[in-house]
Amino acid sequence: MTLYVDKKSVIHDIDPLSKLLFVFISIAITYILPTHLFVISVLAFTFIVLLVGKVFTYIFPVIGVSMLLIISIVIVQGFFHPDRATLLFEIGPLPVYKEGFAFAFLLTLRIINMVCAFGVLILTTKPDHLVDSLIYKGMSPKIGYVFLSVLQIIPQMMAMTSKITDAQRSRGMEKEGKLKTRIKSFIPLLGPVVLNSLNDTRERSIALEIRGFNAKGTKSFLNESFHYKYGLILKLILVILLFAAIVWRIVL
Amino acid sequence: MKKNSMWSLNFTTAALVLIPAAIGINYLGKLFAGLLKLPLWLDSIGTVLASMLAGPIIGAIAGIVNNIIYGFTADPISFVYAITSAVIGLIVGIMAYKGWIANVGKALVLGLVVGLIAATVSTPLNIMFWGGQTGNVWGDALFAMMMAQDMPLWFASFADSIVVDVPDKMATVLISFLIFKGLPKNLTHLYDNRSEIERL
Repeated sequence: MTLYVDKKSVIHDIDPLSKLLFVFISIAITYILPTHLFVISVLAFTFIVLLVGKVFTYIFPVIGVSMLLIISIVIVQGFFHPDRATLLFEIGPLPVYKEGFAFAFLLTLRIINMVCAFGVLILTTKPDHLVDSLIYKGMSPKIGYVFLSVLQIIPQMMAMTSKITDAQRSRGMEKEGKLKTRIKSFIPLLGPVVLNSLNDTRERSIALEIRGFNAKGTKSFLNESFHYKYGLILKLILVILLFAAIVWRIVL
Repeated sequence: MKKNSMWSLNFTTAALVLIPAAIGINYLGKLFAGLLKLPLWLDSIGTVLASMLAGPIIGAIAGIVNNIIYGFTADPISFVYAITSAVIGLIVGIMAYKGWIANVGKALVLGLVVGLIAATVSTPLNIMFWGGQTGNVWGDALFAMMMAQDMPLWFASFADSIVVDVPDKMATVLISFLIFKGLPKNLTHLYDNRSEIERL
């Protein structure tokens, strides 16, 4: 369900909150300083972090998901950017402009950096470690429960789905064909799964309340390992970098 | 007895457990829409259902958590649209509370309003992050056409969002409405904090 890659690396050992901060600052500075060279160097740094974390190859399918958006940006901005003036080259009768292409290139770099920065967090952090750290820092344990239970519920629902699809097909539901047929089969597929999973929530909430979900008092942790190295230093460096970027932007 | 408004921050266990289920339903809606090759996303049915059942706050939380989880498990880009999802949850919750899910006609109006507001919220995000596009083929084709005519960027971007969001949200709300109306009463009462009939 998650994209977490279980390996041993320096990046895996960094505390989840520093990585979370890294994601936000890495994205923010590429928008604060909109020069190609700067964004390329940020991206290069993120690549290095991924390489050190031994998860570099795992990022490509994640970038692939955003490929449609990237292609669309390159095409639309390349051809139709508002400040189109300098001709770069022509594809048949269609002119591609330098301004639009440069802008599209910048946007693409930013998107890839965004995906890769999140990749650093997602690929090297177990979701429960992240949620535990957030709860440790003061987030409501109930919200923490919500996050973690989603990751368990979705696979359960997927399993239920394949059962229901088979059942409905055996009753003669058609899944392929004209648009009308396909629209018609949407409700018989989704309806039973929804009803089933909503019914499950009733049992789940009874089960939770019996186990003291609403109990007052301080909660303790099952795995009390919040001893990450260099957490404070890393966060400090990241915040300084953010401020440096803002100052640079104002001064230049 | 204390009167509960729709903004009541009384998170019952049932309402909290509804959030993961809603996100699962969002996931499945998207999955089925993909499997059946429907020309819509249908990825917020769960959020809309949660808002109809448990009010705007649970709906908004379901929307935000949905995009965070989706960002974690499939597509980091969806983090950006957490705000849009939250607003969808809020609007549906408020309007459902005010009686806009009384019949199919009203539900369609609700869908239209949600679609328009979702597009309005997404447009600045689209402009800020990716120059105005949505990544949807039909919307972006319209965007390109309008840019070629030298129309203002925000207008082209808004049109891009509208043609994608309005039909999608109208279909989403309609489907959610049909499911909601079909739910047994003992289930809907579980989340309804206006009634004291069935509480755990």
